[in-house]
Order: sequence, then C-alpha cells, then structure tokens
Amino acid sequence: MIAQQLVNGIVTGSVYALFALGFTLIFGTFKILNLAHAGVFMSGAFIGYFAVLNGLPLWLALVLAMIGSGLISYIVELGAFATIRGSGQIEFGALISSIGANLCLMSLGQRLSNTKVLRFPFETFPVEFYEFGPVRFSFLQVIILLVVVVLLMAMMFYLYKTSFGRQIRAVSGNERVASLLGVNPGLVYFQTFFISGALAGVAGIMIGLSFNSIHFYMGEPYLLKAFVVVVLGGLGSVHGAVVAGMLLGIFQNLAVAYLPSALTETIIYGLLFVVLLVKPSGLFGSEGVQVGVARR
Amino acid sequence: MMNLVYTYQPLFDYFLLAVGFAYSQQMVLRAGVFSIGSAGFASIGAYFVAIVVKDHGMNAIVALLIATLLGCVGGFLLSIPLARLRGVFQAIATLAFVQIVVSLCLYFDELTGGPQGFNNIPKLVGTWHLLAAVLVTIYFMYVISRSAIGRAFDALRQDETVGATLGISIRKYHMIAFVLSGALAGFFGGMQSLYTFSIEPEMFGFTFLVAALTYIILGGRGTVTGPIIGALIMSVLPELARPLADNRQFFQGILMMVMIAFMPHGVFDGLVLHLRKRRAAARDKLFKEAH
Amino acid sequence: MASLVLSNVSKRFGGLLAVSDVNMEVPPGKITGLIGPNGAGKTTVVNMITGLLKLTTGSIKLGDRDISEAEAHEVAFAGVSRTFQNIRLLPEATVLENVVIGFHVHVRSSLFAQLVGLPSSVRETPKLFERGRQLLERFGMSRYADHPAGGLAYGHQRRVEMMRAVATDPKILLLDEPVAGMNDVEATELGDVFKELAASGIGLLLIEHNIRFVNQLCEQVYVLDSGAMIASGTPQEVMHNPAVVAAYLGTKK
Repeated sequence: MIAQQLVNGIVTGSVYALFALGFTLIFGTFKILNLAHAGVFMSGAFIGYFAVLNGLPLWLALVLAMIGSGLISYIVELGAFATIRGSGQIEFGALISSIGANLCLMSLGQRLSNTKVLRFPFETFPVEFYEFGPVRFSFLQVIILLVVVVLLMAMMFYLYKTSFGRQIRAVSGNERVASLLGVNPGLVYFQTFFISGALAGVAGIMIGLSFNSIHFYMGEPYLLKAFVVVVLGGLGSVHGAVVAGMLLGIFQNLAVAYLPSALTETIIYGLLFVVLLVKPSGLFGSEGVQVGVARR
Repeated sequence: MMNLVYTYQPLFDYFLLAVGFAYSQQMVLRAGVFSIGSAGFASIGAYFVAIVVKDHGMNAIVALLIATLLGCVGGFLLSIPLARLRGVFQAIATLAFVQIVVSLCLYFDELTGGPQGFNNIPKLVGTWHLLAAVLVTIYFMYVISRSAIGRAFDALRQDETVGATLGISIRKYHMIAFVLSGALAGFFGGMQSLYTFSIEPEMFGFTFLVAALTYIILGGRGTVTGPIIGALIMSVLPELARPLADNRQFFQGILMMVMIAFMPHGVFDGLVLHLRKRRAAARDKLFKEAH
Repeated sequence: MASLVLSNVSKRFGGLLAVSDVNMEVPPGKITGLIGPNGAGKTTVVNMITGLLKLTTGSIKLGDRDISEAEAHEVAFAGVSRTFQNIRLLPEATVLENVVIGFHVHVRSSLFAQLVGLPSSVRETPKLFERGRQLLERFGMSRYADHPAGGLAYGHQRRVEMMRAVATDPKILLLDEPVAGMNDVEATELGDVFKELAASGIGLLLIEHNIRFVNQLCEQVYVLDSGAMIASGTPQEVMHNPAVVAAYLGTKK
C-alpha cells in the first residue's frame, strides 16, 4: 500500500516539478511571478487535445504542445512584462499583468471548449499495467516519469553547460552589463519564456492524459501548488523546485490514504505559510531575502 | 421606469459589495503592504454571520459587529508574522492564508456545509442597507485619508525607509492597515452572507482576490474615489455591450495589462497626478511670463 | 540641548570591516564636518546613527539617551533627522505634502481620533499644512508648494528634502552630501541656510566631498578613510595633517 502510494507520489511530484520549474526559472532570472504560467499549462493541454482530435499521433501532439505553449509563454512576456520593464514597479506590476494575461488565456480556453470538460478520444493512450510485487505501474506513469527525467536533464544541461545558460544568468545578474558584453537580452527573454512555457505545456498534456480531463480552469490548482513547491525549494532555485515537487507529490499521495483531502490542503498551505515565516529563502535557497527596514 | 430599477438593482447591489471589498484591498496596498488576504477575512466574516444568524438566531447587527471584530483580530494576528516579509513573499504568504481558510471551510463541513455551501441564509440585507454601509465606509476612508494615518500610509507606500527616518513606525502602521483591511473585509463578508442566501468556500478564493485587486488597479491606490471608480468600471462595462459581457474575463485581463503598462496609478489617481502636473506647468509658465 | 556622541563604533559586513572604532561628537548649535574619499564609510556611519544599520561594536548617545539599538522611527522621535545622498522624495506627493510628512513626530491627536474623525484630528491637519507653508516660505519655495516633488529640478529637490528633515524639528541634523551636483552660487546660498539652522540651536553634521565647502562652514572636522578616523580638529589642522593629504592625494610608497 505504502509502496504503491510512493510510486504514485513520485509520478505526481514529477509533474509538479515540471510545472514549477518554468515558474521558478522565470522568477530566478527576472524576479517576477508569472501567474499566467497556469494559462500556458492549460494551453499545452488544449493544443495536445486538438492535435490528437485531428488525427495526429500522440508524440507529435506532445511536440506541438511544447512548441505552441512555448510560443504562448513568449507572447505573455511581450504582452504583460516587456511593456512594464524598467518602470520601477516590476514586482507589483508583473503580478497584476500576469493575472491579466492568465484571465485572457483562460477566457480563450473557455470559448474553445464551450465551458465543457474535454476528454481524449478512447484509446488515445494504451491502458496497460505492469506489476512488480505489490506495486502496479501504468504504462502512462512510466512514460510520464521518463519524459520528465529526460526534460529535466536536458534543461540542466542547457542551463549549466551551454553558453546560453551562462547568458541567461548574466542577464539575470545585470541586464545592462550583460548587453555590453555582447549578450542579446531579447534572445535571452525569448529562450527563458519559451523553455518555461514548453515545460508547462508538457505538464499540461501529461495531466490531461492522466485524468483524461481538460478544462479551461485546470491551471489554477497547479499554480497554487507551484507556489508551495517553489517557496519550499527556494524561489528561483531549479534543483529546489525538483526536490520540493517530488516531496509534495509524495506527501499528497500518502496523505490521501490517511487524511481527508481538505485537511491535506490545509496542511500544505500551512506549511507554505510557516516556511515563508521561518525561512523565506526556502529549504534549498541561499539568497538573502529582503525583510524591510530594520537594523541589519 | 420601475422596470429599469428592477433590472439594474442587483447590479447596483453587487457594485456596492464590490466597493466594500475594494476598500479592504486598497487599505493594505495604500500602506505599501502587498497583502491579498482580504478574501480570507471576507470568508471568515461571511461564514460567521451565516452560521450564527441562521443556526443560532443571533441578531444580525450584533453578528455583523462581531464579524468586523473578527476581521480586526485576524488582521492583527496576521500582521505580526508578516512584518518580516515584503513584496512577493508577502503576497504569497497571504495567498497561503486565503487557501488555508478555503480548505478549512471545506473540511469543517458539518459547520459550513462544505463544498455544497451554506444555504438558506435569511435575506436581511437589501440595497438600502448596502448603500448605508458603503456611505459610512466612505466617511471613514475619507477621515482616515485626511489624518496622520493616511499620510503615514502614503509615505510608507512610496518609500518605506524615508518614512521610518521621519518617525513613522513601519510595524505599527502596517499593523493598522491589516486591522482596518480585515475589519472591512469581515464586515462586508457578513453583509454578503445576509444578502445572497447562500455562500460557498470557493466564493472567497483566488477569483475573489483577483477581482478585488482589479478594482484597485483600475481605480487607484491612493484616493478615496479610486476604488469606487474601479468597482464601477467592472460592474458597468459588461452591461454596456453584449460582446463585453460574453468575454468579460478576457476584457478584464486586457484591462489589467493595459492599465499596469500605461496607467500604473489607476484611472482616478492617474487623473489626479496628471492634473497636478498640468497645473504645476501652467503656474511655471505664468511665473516665467511675469518675470 | 544635547550632543550626539559616537563611541568606538564599528561595523562589519561579513568579513569586511566597513567602519572601525569611530569616535565623534556632534555638538548642538554648530556645524561639524565629516569628510573622506569615496567609499570611506561616511554613509555607513549615518545609517548606523539613524537606525538603519546595526552596530557591530560601540555605542551612540544623544544627550543621556542611548540610541545604539533604537529603531529608525525611534531615532527620529529622539530628535535625529537626515537627508539622503541620492535624494529620496515621495515622488507622487506634492512639495507641501513632502514637507508635511516631516511633521509626523509632532502629531498630537490620538489614533482613535484619527480613525473616527474627532475634531482633534480634523483640526490638526490644516494646522500642519499651514506650518508646512510657513516652512516653504522660509526656504523660498512657496511657489512650488503644489508641484509634484518628483518633477522638480535637482537643486530644488535637495531643498525639499532638507525642509522635510527640518520639519521634524530635530536636535541633530545629518546632511549626506547636500551640495553634491550644485554650482558654487547655489552651494553658498545653502551654506547660509545651514548657518541659520545652527544658530537656531540645531547640531549639524555635514557629510561632504567638497573640502572647500566644509572648511568655510565647520569649526570641527573629522576625516574618515577606509572606515577609520584618521584625523580630527579644526579645518586648518586637518588640512595640514599628512595622513589626510595622503588619503586624498594618494601616497608614494
């Protein structure tokens, strides 16, 4: 029983991590909370759904969802963040305008789906199970885990081993200095938002497949969970988001067996609150966090 | 004529409630506190009033007063730990508070009715009550904004360090902002309970706080008129044209993005600032011509 | 009136000793100078006095009162006011409102009176604005009363900041590079204002780069270099101190 919940938890957690990764990447790089990440996540699921509906194979639908939601994420950057950059109110402003962008995406999703829950056609994904002693895996779970691991490794490689990764970190340090050194900030913004959006899109299609249900407000609960994940892992910390995502997934699945679901939520958000008060830089973050005017 | 009144009365009622919640949201933002916790206090006030009035037969006025008090106490308690946080961290912590309240309302379903909501609340509040409540609130908002408290809030919002070096205790005034914001949310939450027959936990969640933020972004953070304008725009705009009503959320989203980009102080505050600048320029010109 | 006295004050940021063992006195009714090259730690000293930074060692006293641990707003109530090196006005507020916020420490009406609009609070506000206008008059800034402070010329912004600091009616006024970026005429004009303020009993601490300006106004000058006090005395004494000359012009080793 516990082993089974653990496996389920790791799979759920890996999707949380995937969602939170793009969210924390943008915060770490540009110091903004992108609430439209929820809408981008939903867009990924929608694109995947309509691709499958039009007869495309699932793997192609996945690729299209990645590219599509990556582009949508960049459109959000152009519409919601590029306009207020340098206004001196980026922290507050970005939160508001990304809420705005999210409303727009949700509203489009609502139109497309006619406010209905969409379901993939029967047998889009083979329903197969493997048994290892007491633990049962579905084929889908294996694929999800595989895709997440591959994407994580690709992203780590990209961020820490390539010159693009160094450029992203240079721009996050000081945009003007970076551009003097020959880094093109526009390109960095594009890449960061594209990667972030593509990851969210994959997460969207995975969730859509797992529950076989896609609807225009599916992003909100994941966004709220993402706050927990990124704060626990340290806002802006990529490794932290992965570990915290896994932990949250496992906790949630174990708790389902023993606690009423509403109480689980109370505990999760209570934990978020407590971590913010005790260690706002998160369990794995090291950056100092601004705490207002007091003798330091 | 009477038809017109009947058609638009519910709209007007919701507008009045929106103004109340907008003031609660404005109170914290005005003092430079990035709290989005009003939804949580509104939920507490709404459930308290609904439960004691329907199940225990408490007098509605007494219940509303206690709901206000609960908002005060809640705001006070929340302000203590939050004094350490700023900016997005404050926003996330208050969001966590809102989610905790929502999940608790779902959990204690014997008391609150859980996800099915709390139904058949006696309707004791009508348009006139709401109007009176909003007018009294406007009076208080005006008085506070003309007092040393209002000036301290404005200073802290614009530059916390400067405020502190001029003798304004950040901790104290942020606490006052939390307490007043909680009081307003608790009170209007209770009013909403007694107006709408039924409430459910998700009514006071993410959508609620987005709406409250929208009123302030549209209207303005620093004036008493701002929240009224913000709530008015959001209530009236969808009624003006059918396509606007059909795509209400889409336009709300576009408005938020456009306002932050091009009128970050909001319609009303932006107008006040603009007029100030124009008048200053005109005076400068006069002065130069005279010399 | 009370003197501001710093005894053995040090500040360490991580491994870096930014200010070490500083002793200094700012007496009432006089203008005291604090000079030193860029990065000497002058602003760090001001931030420690005004409650923005914690002292690593030492103490700061205003008269008999120890304000080493006081919070920023308590320091203001105790009677220490300041201006900022990079001017910090409330940009949305008018010039008059910027000055009136300086009267915060003089507000007498109770919180309750302010919340419910009792006459004590309602009548106080116009009085404070009237006092603000008088202060503007004194600094020759009346015609800018209703201008948004953010849109003023640089020199005028400095004046607004100074009026705001004076509005708190301080015992000690810390001026962090008040004439930076001004020409000689403007600087001399402001110098006269400082003399006037000192004559009214306020103790001024003038943190400056411009040695000539300091020499014209101060009786006592302290010189800070790399966080340490390398000299103090009258401007004459200090100017001929080889350590000071070396700090400003560099040494041949």
